[in-house]
Amino acid sequence: MPRHFEMELDQLRTMLIRMGSLVEEQIDCGVKSIIDGDESLSALVIERDKKVDEYDNAIDQQCMRIFALTQPVAVDLRLLMAALKINNELERIGDIAVNLAERVKALVPFRAFVKETRLSEMATAAREMVKAAIDSFVNNDPGLAKKVLTSDDVIDSIDRQMFELMVGKMKGSKDLIEPAVHVVILSRHLERLADHATNIAEDVIFLVNARIIKHNADEQI
Amino acid sequence: MPSSLQSPKISARGVDAFFGKVQALHNVSLDIPEHRVLAIIGPSGCGKSTFLRCLNRMHEVAGGSMRGEVFLDGEDIYKADPVSVRRKVGMVFQKPNPFPTMSIFDNVAVGLRLNGLAKKSELNDIVERSLQQAALWDEVKDQLDKSGVSLSGGQQQRLCIARTLAVNPRVVLMDEPASALDPLATAKIEELIHELKSAYTIVIVTHNMQQAARVSDSTAFFYLGKLIEHGETRKIFTNPEKKQTEEYITGRFG
Repeated sequence: MPRHFEMELDQLRTMLIRMGSLVEEQIDCGVKSIIDGDESLSALVIERDKKVDEYDNAIDQQCMRIFALTQPVAVDLRLLMAALKINNELERIGDIAVNLAERVKALVPFRAFVKETRLSEMATAAREMVKAAIDSFVNNDPGLAKKVLTSDDVIDSIDRQMFELMVGKMKGSKDLIEPAVHVVILSRHLERLADHATNIAEDVIFLVNARIIKHNADEQI
Repeated sequence: MPSSLQSPKISARGVDAFFGKVQALHNVSLDIPEHRVLAIIGPSGCGKSTFLRCLNRMHEVAGGSMRGEVFLDGEDIYKADPVSVRRKVGMVFQKPNPFPTMSIFDNVAVGLRLNGLAKKSELNDIVERSLQQAALWDEVKDQLDKSGVSLSGGQQQRLCIARTLAVNPRVVLMDEPASALDPLATAKIEELIHELKSAYTIVIVTHNMQQAARVSDSTAFFYLGKLIEHGETRKIFTNPEKKQTEEYITGRFG
């Protein structure tokens, strides 16, 4: 039986999927602008964040409307809860893309230094995690979501190595303090991207399997 | 299933119910622990009201027959006196049905008088206590002599609840007690159910899914005369085990 309610839920899913692909593109552009020192690309990322924020508001409104008017239960309730949370994560991912872009200008003199680090490799890994997390939502695929959870350790490990490496560089030469601090911060941003991807993956497992796995809270429901 | 370890207040075992040759219930077994509210949900004709009526032997009054056992505090109610069963297992119906020729006071006192359960001196106290338990006392205490049908629909339903409580039942069955009431009166009945469960065990049949979710500790979903799923209400409404339950509560049924 086709229902008005189903259309509302479909609309919600569609908005989340569109927002997901927008933030993926924002990360790509944010990272590329750093690696290439491309200030016009970074300006585009900063400008386009407004669009991400619009999705954020629209999805909140849509969830609120469905909660108020239909009192959803079971799988519908879980979709709405997951949608609210995933929306929040995507908005934060969008903010991180902006954080990356905002650092481009300061990093232009240090492009060679940045290229020697593992930032690009780390960005690719974090980007993969975000993509997989969003795909797991789009395809209702808790198996893929679980893979995202196990990838987080890799990023954390690169972040720690990067930190130690940069501290070494700073100790070696005062001239490297400024670029090394930038790189430490960028590395931390990328590590946060992976954390947001992990949160989305946890929300997808909640949505599909009704299991709360964050903070090891499984079996409480 | 509810995780209570205590022995159930009321327990149905393999209940089959019939109207003539038509089987309305198939092998239903359900335990309801004391001081808990069980909500029974399901589409029209699923057997939920029939099941309710099997719990106080009203089904046989309606011309039906049944097989299986129903235990109240471990005693088989089908081996007991039906009148005493119905006193221990009270019932509130969909449509408020105060006795039209009786005053508010007499409506509450009637069960006690008929059963010779109270001395005259105790009657006033019991009527007041029952009306208080039904959250009606403050509204009617100055007009106890007025006719029961002079009250609003919501008040009449609470009067019927007071009448049920007056004979001190152990279990209260409610068959869509709020479906004929406006939202305010409904909210009062629902609040009352929360209050009453500290003293009684309650089974409520409702078509209103949100009402089941709001008032009950456990929920049973019936379909085509079968118990499809019974579990903690919060589990049924967040993550039901059975596909049919999910389809029904999310409105995707049929």
